[in-house]
Amino acid sequence: MGTARYITRRLAYGLILMIGVVVLNFILIHAAPGDPADVIAGEMGGATEEMMAQIRARYGLDQPLPVQLWIYLSNIARFDLGMSYYFDRPVTELIGQRIWPTVLLVLTAQLIAIALGVVMGVLASRRPNGPFSGFVSVFSTVGYAAPVFWTGLMLIILFSVIVPLFPVEGMTSARFRGTGLAYALNVAHHLVLPAFTLAIIFLAQYARLSRASMIEVLGADYVRTARAKGLGEGAVTFRHALRNAVLPILTVAGIQFGNLISGALLVETVFNWPGMGRLAFDSVLRRDYPTLLGVLFCASGVVVIANLLTDLSYRLADPRIRTGGR
Amino acid sequence: MADPLMSLRDLRVEFDTRHGRVTALSGISLDVMPGETLGIVGESGCGKSITALAMMGLVPNPPGHVTGGQILFQGEDITRAKPRRLRRLRGREIAMIFQEPMTSLNPVFTVGDQIAEAILLHQDVSRAQAEKQVVDLLATVGIPEPARRAKAYPHELSGGMRQRVMIAMAISCRPKLLIADEPTTALDVTVQAQIFDLMRDIQREFGVAIVLITHDMGAIAEMTDRVAVMYAGRIIEQGTSDQILDNPLHPYTRGLIGCIPVLGREAGDAASLPPLAEIPGIVPPLHLLGDGCAFAERCALADDYCRAVRPPLEEKGHPVACHHAGQGVPA
Amino acid sequence: MAAPDPIVPQTGSKQPGAAPPPATPGRSNEASSPMREAWGQFLKNRPAVFGLALLAVIVGLVLYGHFIFDADPYDIVWMPLTPPGEEEGIWLGTDFLGRDMFTGLMKGGAPTLAVGLSAALITVVIGITMGSLAGFFGGWLDDLLMRLTEFFQVLPALLFAMVLVTLFSPSLWTIAFAIGIVSWPQTARLTRAEFLRIRELEYVTAARSIGAGNGRIIWRVILPNALPPLIVSATLTIGVAILFEAGLSFLGLGDPNTMSWGLMIGQNRNYLLDAWWPVTLPGLAIFLTVFAVSLVGDGLNDAFNPKLRSR
Repeated sequence: MGTARYITRRLAYGLILMIGVVVLNFILIHAAPGDPADVIAGEMGGATEEMMAQIRARYGLDQPLPVQLWIYLSNIARFDLGMSYYFDRPVTELIGQRIWPTVLLVLTAQLIAIALGVVMGVLASRRPNGPFSGFVSVFSTVGYAAPVFWTGLMLIILFSVIVPLFPVEGMTSARFRGTGLAYALNVAHHLVLPAFTLAIIFLAQYARLSRASMIEVLGADYVRTARAKGLGEGAVTFRHALRNAVLPILTVAGIQFGNLISGALLVETVFNWPGMGRLAFDSVLRRDYPTLLGVLFCASGVVVIANLLTDLSYRLADPRIRTGGR
Repeated sequence: MADPLMSLRDLRVEFDTRHGRVTALSGISLDVMPGETLGIVGESGCGKSITALAMMGLVPNPPGHVTGGQILFQGEDITRAKPRRLRRLRGREIAMIFQEPMTSLNPVFTVGDQIAEAILLHQDVSRAQAEKQVVDLLATVGIPEPARRAKAYPHELSGGMRQRVMIAMAISCRPKLLIADEPTTALDVTVQAQIFDLMRDIQREFGVAIVLITHDMGAIAEMTDRVAVMYAGRIIEQGTSDQILDNPLHPYTRGLIGCIPVLGREAGDAASLPPLAEIPGIVPPLHLLGDGCAFAERCALADDYCRAVRPPLEEKGHPVACHHAGQGVPA
Repeated sequence: MAAPDPIVPQTGSKQPGAAPPPATPGRSNEASSPMREAWGQFLKNRPAVFGLALLAVIVGLVLYGHFIFDADPYDIVWMPLTPPGEEEGIWLGTDFLGRDMFTGLMKGGAPTLAVGLSAALITVVIGITMGSLAGFFGGWLDDLLMRLTEFFQVLPALLFAMVLVTLFSPSLWTIAFAIGIVSWPQTARLTRAEFLRIRELEYVTAARSIGAGNGRIIWRVILPNALPPLIVSATLTIGVAILFEAGLSFLGLGDPNTMSWGLMIGQNRNYLLDAWWPVTLPGLAIFLTVFAVSLVGDGLNDAFNPKLRSR
């Protein structure tokens, strides 16, 4: 299958998944106790008559259900996710401001986790029974068992209170007005703790996986061939073995994007990071359902796109899939 | 007579296992002459693959250790060579092809890249020159449309093609010695014949010495000038191919050739594989074999003396390690 | 967990004809001996036994602690944010309202463990049902159910659970159900893979050839043989569900009427810069519980796959 056709097919499939998320949102609004208009208004009976009438008209709530679903779908197709009555602004605009901090956080954490995880796995695989290998095994169990929000708070105690290296919260310093490089550095400084907090769980998993995968690959016949060619250990490990050993890590990393977003939700709340997770938390407290459902929709969209990109990178890394072989 | 290209002198290799340290090779001595083909024959687990890896300085460590003897390549002891020096020999002076062409090529690189990697490593040529050499090499080993195949990934080629690619990679730097470890075992019979033809052509063209590791006496008959028969980490019979095939002295060699019955098998039904039970494990636990002849347990001629005293490798027409060498041939 | 007890001993014992085990049929304890063997392996695994002991201590304290230390976790006992050990009888200090941390920790484990266990149970029931139907029947049903698992894997689980808990009331059951409904796809995939593997084996064909129905083959023949990896996965699911519950109650989405470890962290985190203990200690409790559960899970995994242990 050609790559272009493959991408088209994957995009179509992603679109179907997104329509599924919209339908799910619709079902949730109607399954929730109370009048759907009340749910949309997010005030639970406290909304004004005028506002309720406006919502009824906008969502066609006097029409039969399939028509309502159609209206809901076509609104979203026009990127209209409804109004946040609490913030008194369109949900699309709210999310538009908040989506990039989340993407920045999630991608940074994922990259840290993959890079460090693979390095740890490779080092551990050199001596499968050595002390570092044991450390990786223990670390992977520990890293998995620590609740991410608690890890974040512990890192704040360690690196913001005891050793004040990094800021406690936010994405930029208060009253920071710099631009360009100064701005980027300020954000990067604020990003370190949240990104590492989020990375630790996944780092633990990737380290364990890449250790096992490297041990297996280093015993493969083609690694022996590479040695027989006269290649040094560096080229054997990093060119021949690693390239094969990262394939299972890519697969798992793709599956983990949904969990990364879930983790980001907690991390953003801990570090007051102005992303979608923080927005979701705020809208839960305010019963702002259009915003909450909008965040669910957009976060699912991020996962769909991330999965698509992972699949593409897998195709680049493994020619057996690209050229349709076994 | 010319100096040997490679000679093993009383080579000992030991492995650390769960049962302690066991001897995989105990005192192997043999010579490889320039341009000749030497066969090393035996069942799996007899130590022939370890011998091949030792010749490349590739005994897996851990758990393996070369604990004694010398491996002289053109007079230089490679057991004492520095890793850097070894890497310069590998691929350039001594090359190797393996049993499984399916798994011996890296699945994520094109075959052209994998051959070019060896060329760029050992020769002072540009990337473009290397790529041109790759196409020439692929043509040499009989791959049609070499320019297109160079861009193929291993999974897009058949088993025979992949073994040709392995041979192309092995001869890319015109090595003096080519070690072939069961090069045709994983291939169809017709493809086997083609690969052997190719190896003979290569030898004629490049004058490379070949060490052919095999369990198949048919391959020995077809390819080799001289033969060493291995059993349980030792050489038990050695000679020219004619001597070994026409006048085998050791009961084990006869078993391999299939001309005498070995414990409970009828003569004649040994068409392809020798009618012998396999020795379990890769590394035979030699410390369990005791002081006698390692083959005694499976030998129809064995007596108490065989079980008590290990026969040395002695000249009896050609070197053989058996108290009953040449005896008891049934009609 | 998913009530393995009534299922395990039945393999090949009550119905030796319907489900002949791969080896000699008719020997009654044939099927239970792999389980016993795995248990023996498990007991030889020191980290796993340590995990089991740790878990027993935690569960014991959570279940019976309040009988020994009879106290109300909502009582204000001393000055707010008293450090541990400063005042006699208040070993672990007080929280931001002056409530005793130790009592809170005793009480706060109950909802976490209860939700963790019931959520894992819901996950396993949905996952095994979906996975076994997909793996056994294949065809369009398999396609449909697998698309459904993919759909649920795209949804960010915690966010979806937040939406569910916000829209419906945040009771312990809603929370357990929300966690279950977002966690089942992994169990379903594992079950499906096991069913695909086992349904091709000879004893399934044998059972079919003597007229066993689909239901009998799924429940009595395939499922018991698929149990080892499912038990491991169910154990690890408990850990995931506990972390999940902790996250939700940290966000203030737990049952508002119960003290819980996650809630304690969430309520005290604004005072983090002044007092480390009201945040650190409940987190440590969550961590130790999940750590113990995963040690047990890893131990079970090793016990069921002795070959993997040497790695």
